Amino acid sequence: MAVQQQNTAAFVESFATLKRSEPTWLADRRRLAIERFSLLGIPTTHDEEYKYTSLKSISGQTWTPSAAGSVETPDVDYAGEEAARIVFVDGKFFSAAGDTLLGARLTSGLANVEGHLTRYADFESHALTALNTAFFADGALVELPEKAIVEKPIHIVWVSTGEAGIVSHPRTLILAGRNSQASVIESFVSLADGAAWTNPVTEIIAEENARIEHFQVQQQGSEAIHTGVVQGLTERSGYISTISLSFGARLARNDVRVKLNGEGAECALDGLYVVNGKQHVDHHTVIDHASPNCNSHQLYKGVLDGESRGVFNGKILVRRDAQKTDAIQNNKNLLLSPKAEIDTKPQLEIDANDVRCTHGATIGQLDAEALFYLQARGIGAAQARHLLTYAFAADLLERVKVQPLRDHFEHVLMRTLSEDPNAEETH
Amino acid sequence: MLEVKDLRVRVEDKEILKGISLSVGKGEVHAIMGPNGSGKSTLAGVLAGRDGYEITGGSATFKGEDLLDKDPEIRAREGIFLAFQYPVEIPGVSNMYFLRTALNAIRTHRGQEELDAVEFIALVKDRMKKLKMDDAMLKRAVNEGFSGGEKKRNEIFQMAVLEPQLAILDETDSGLDIDALKLVSEGVNSMRSPDRSIIVVTHYQRLLDYIVPDKVHVLAHGQIVKSGDKGLALELEKKGYGWVDDLASGLATA
Ligand SMILES: Nc1ncnc2c1ncn2[C@@H]1O[C@H](COP(=O)(O)OP(=O)(O)OP(=O)(O)O)[C@@H](O)[C@H]1O
Ligand SMILES: [Mg+2]
Repeated sequence: MAVQQQNTAAFVESFATLKRSEPTWLADRRRLAIERFSLLGIPTTHDEEYKYTSLKSISGQTWTPSAAGSVETPDVDYAGEEAARIVFVDGKFFSAAGDTLLGARLTSGLANVEGHLTRYADFESHALTALNTAFFADGALVELPEKAIVEKPIHIVWVSTGEAGIVSHPRTLILAGRNSQASVIESFVSLADGAAWTNPVTEIIAEENARIEHFQVQQQGSEAIHTGVVQGLTERSGYISTISLSFGARLARNDVRVKLNGEGAECALDGLYVVNGKQHVDHHTVIDHASPNCNSHQLYKGVLDGESRGVFNGKILVRRDAQKTDAIQNNKNLLLSPKAEIDTKPQLEIDANDVRCTHGATIGQLDAEALFYLQARGIGAAQARHLLTYAFAADLLERVKVQPLRDHFEHVLMRTLSEDPNAEETH
Repeated sequence: MLEVKDLRVRVEDKEILKGISLSVGKGEVHAIMGPNGSGKSTLAGVLAGRDGYEITGGSATFKGEDLLDKDPEIRAREGIFLAFQYPVEIPGVSNMYFLRTALNAIRTHRGQEELDAVEFIALVKDRMKKLKMDDAMLKRAVNEGFSGGEKKRNEIFQMAVLEPQLAILDETDSGLDIDALKLVSEGVNSMRSPDRSIIVVTHYQRLLDYIVPDKVHVLAHGQIVKSGDKGLALELEKKGYGWVDDLASGLATA
């Protein structure tokens, strides 16, 4: 406990020494946030929301932001042709290419941001969001004017130098005006394998009839800690989809929360986690059906090997007047090793009476008969396992409609699976 | 080609094969007939390398080499092909990708160059045409949503592409209507060659009108109770499997 208090105090002290020239509204928000954080502290496993995910590796030490230094251009897989790309290193702006009107650096001069930034991702009750809000340095703003249609993906790249003890707080705000449409990818990568901590918060607002397809690809280093929040809000007939590919990091916790706040709004939350060794990956989703006639779909798939551990907790809230809600949630897991584990739990809180909510969870192994079938055709055991595992996982990527993006993700997935150290080659 | 001697196999403490001996020469076609549960699929599975069997006695060699220690994929690469009684559905893996991976694994093992996409397509289209199959199935997932007959035909198609030296067809005729049966038989017959041996496992004499075997064996209660030429299949058809039980009890008390 003492260590944790020390850790909390260190953040509060460090906040007090920050010198930033910012508009008052933002400084005020940050002050509120650090106050909340000092009360909440880093969550422990006594907290129901973190029952299976210990943050001791965060609370057990002090963290410093990275000192500004020169960094070589990071080697990242890009997503085919992009409309714009903006790169950050340890949370600080690094470079931008393409149409920078879309991928603009966050500055104090952006008038429109005050009403939005920090207004959606709740820092009152979430300590890590509070910490991000207090500390984020630069941020990515994707602002789509009314009716703007961006055909090519917008790519935000968050690079961690991967130095042990360094924390960064990436911050993204996606504002989609009425009838606008875009795909936004956030890639999280590391330059080295140290125990660096990345604590991102992304806020997505889809105004009336806007469509946002959001993707996160997390391929951080083997000792990295990743705790991310995506907070979405849709207005009438708005649509948000977010697909999270969580492959890297020693500890990854992804909170995805969407509020369907207007009739006919829809969201699709999907995720694919592929973990191995001692990796721990946790997805917590919350869909808040606050209006009638809204749909939500969730499909999270996991491939767990080695001694890895997975957690999935999917909460669906249906408010009293959210009649005709249609909510589907599925979590499917493939355990490749007897030591891998998954805890999966749906959580439905339904206050309306005319709704359809379905949920399901499966935990299985590779089908022995299918493996034999492949082997009986000459395909080696390791390759057969790889093929079946890939097929299980790639099924989720069929939801990615933008072809270059899908190719990109398939490539990333293929590489992740073939790096599997447990797959012994038989030749 | 294949020499099986006094092979004894247990599954979960139950003896299923009780001393099977079988010799299949190069270019020969043998039929194995027998009632449900007699051990036909077990024999086929043991030869192809399926898991879960305990071999308690006897031996099996293929081209003079001990077969039973080898992994299933090695057996396949060396020329054994099992057409499954119940072909497996594999969602997410296309027939095309599956078959090309298999063919190239086999070719590499034999020291042949891998086929590129163009060569592969040409080969596959040729084989599909012979079996009157629709190209569209190549893009579909392996056996997923295939009818019973389509699955069986797909097995024969795979055999035609992979060109094994010993094909074991486990009840490939069940579930086929007469037209499909003819097509499948033609497919099998077109693959008969002096270098290729075939074992057809079947319940029904009907298939053997089309694929005429050199030898017929009757399997009952884990033993080959009678062997003969194609006339044996006709005799069996006439006398029924009750006759086989009599033969088997004769063996058991002998
Ligand atoms: N995995 C298994 N576990 C337990 N018993 C098994 C297993 N596999 C086969 N058997 C048993 O072994 C016996 C022979 O089965 P097998 O499938 O070889 O028969 P078959 O001759 O192919 O029958 P069919 O004509 O119905 O296909 C049966 O009694 C069956 O129940
Ligand atoms: Mg059988």
